Amino acid sequence: MMGLLRAELRKTTSTRLWWGLFIPAGLLSVLINVFGGLFTAAIPAEDGRLPLLIGSLAYALGLTTVFSMVQGIVSAASEFRHRTITTTYVTSARRSLVLLAKMATSAVVGMVYALATVVLGVLAGLVGEAGSAFPTTGALLAVTLIGMAVSALWGALGAALGTAVSNQVSALVGALVYVLLGELLISTLLRNADSLDVRRLSAYLPGNAGDVAIYDIPARVLAGPDIGTVVVETLANVTAPPPWWGALLVLTAWTAAVAATAWVVADRRDVT
Amino acid sequence: MNDPWATAAGGVNEPNGRVTVSELSKSFGPVNAVDGLTFTVEPGAVTGFLGPNGSGKTTTLRMVLGLVTPTAGEARINGMPFAELANPARVVGAVLEAQGFHPARTARKHLLACAAAIGVPDASADHVLGTVGLLDAGDRKVGGYSLGMRQRLALAVALLGDPQVLVLDEPGNGLDPEGIAWMRAFLRGFARQGRSVLVSSHLLAEVEQTADHLVVISRGRCVFQGSLAQLQSSRRARVLVRCAAPDRLADALARTGVLEIDTLPEGWLGIAGADPVHVGDVALGAGVAIYGMVHEKIDLEQLFFQLTAQPWEVAHR
Repeated sequence: MMGLLRAELRKTTSTRLWWGLFIPAGLLSVLINVFGGLFTAAIPAEDGRLPLLIGSLAYALGLTTVFSMVQGIVSAASEFRHRTITTTYVTSARRSLVLLAKMATSAVVGMVYALATVVLGVLAGLVGEAGSAFPTTGALLAVTLIGMAVSALWGALGAALGTAVSNQVSALVGALVYVLLGELLISTLLRNADSLDVRRLSAYLPGNAGDVAIYDIPARVLAGPDIGTVVVETLANVTAPPPWWGALLVLTAWTAAVAATAWVVADRRDVT
Repeated sequence: MNDPWATAAGGVNEPNGRVTVSELSKSFGPVNAVDGLTFTVEPGAVTGFLGPNGSGKTTTLRMVLGLVTPTAGEARINGMPFAELANPARVVGAVLEAQGFHPARTARKHLLACAAAIGVPDASADHVLGTVGLLDAGDRKVGGYSLGMRQRLALAVALLGDPQVLVLDEPGNGLDPEGIAWMRAFLRGFARQGRSVLVSSHLLAEVEQTADHLVVISRGRCVFQGSLAQLQSSRRARVLVRCAAPDRLADALARTGVLEIDTLPEGWLGIAGADPVHVGDVALGAGVAIYGMVHEKIDLEQLFFQLTAQPWEVAHR
């Protein structure tokens, strides 16, 4: 298994995909957090300054997770696109271990993406004078770690999805349409239902669960414990969301479900 | 099976490398790509796996390598199904397609990723690059490689684990004559070390000089198995005759003890075990007019063609 992990890491680092994909995510983080800093400083001190950077960081992290997912999908499905999967499966007869190694590698890439997003974001925020009301170390650390976890899960989910679907374009377009549009529609529909139980389901969709986990702590820091939930509901388009750890568990369950599907599909697939 | 170490050691250390295919079948929907195929690949020899395009060669090789699940039957390497080999690349190396590379990855980095998966030292990447003559091109992206270079790189990947068995699917494709000669010499040398080689081709001429043993398939079924010499002696020279009354000529020939007579289209007869003089004399005696007579030579390529285009195969489908 260690050998397979090293093999997957070598595959990932030997093409430009992993750093090429981070360029737009990093640029977005810089842009968003410069404004996070500017808005921090724009509020007059006598009106009570808020550490707005924690919010802009969370927003940037939410966008980064999409890039983590894309990296996972493309790296896993490219093995089928370039037919290298033949060599991969001939050198390792256990396809489930190959899947796990791919998921772990894309999870690591996702964590690196999230960490880099925070580092770039904090630097950009300081340029934008976020120093006038800088977030506490605890809050910053919490957002960073939760962001890394969500990003890692999306990377792993992407790798599993790429393995299950195997057609790179279908997997990529399908996932992006779902994450960027489909989930918005579904959660809007769910939230307009009469029953509260149905409305609550909106927080259990994978994309929303990731957003809830990321926004939970910043919303409480900025808006206080009472209004914080309302802020999360608005930002993540959900009703009565679970706390961040519950949301992480929900996303973990989705990742496990996609992984189980990929496991079964890959095991039965004829590589012709 | 009480001692798991005994079976594991027996599979890996036993200097065998035998590949056995028994009653192997694969259907893709209504199409029987491979139909009850049985053959053995012995160590120390090159086994040529012949058949026209679409006869099921690639599917068979992929079933041997665990990439395709058989509908029925099984293939074993060293007495074990591929899926049960602890470190398959140490036992069998595969050259399946020259296209299996990421175009933006260099050859050396591709080999290093494979080396990590197999668990061989990084130095073996350069070693196999040297073996196939790509050492200088190792740091170039595979996207810029010619087809011949990709075939060589595919062979390099197959050799990484220092396997006992080599399985190659049409390795001659894309190679120039020099490359083909080199590949032949390499495969013979590999087999001479007591290892096994299973190499497929749709051209008899391509494996004629390399293979010690032949397995010929057509439409997923085995039509010949044995040495080249056996293949040559399996078909006797025939006299082809076109005449006015094939039935009468056949009867007359049968009375002289010539019994191996095939009825061919358009009034032709294929007569084995008789020379043209005898056939002509008998025809004259029986009063059958002869319109044409051909003494058929034993051409290996033609033999192969006959084997793989048997009328009963068509009827079978």
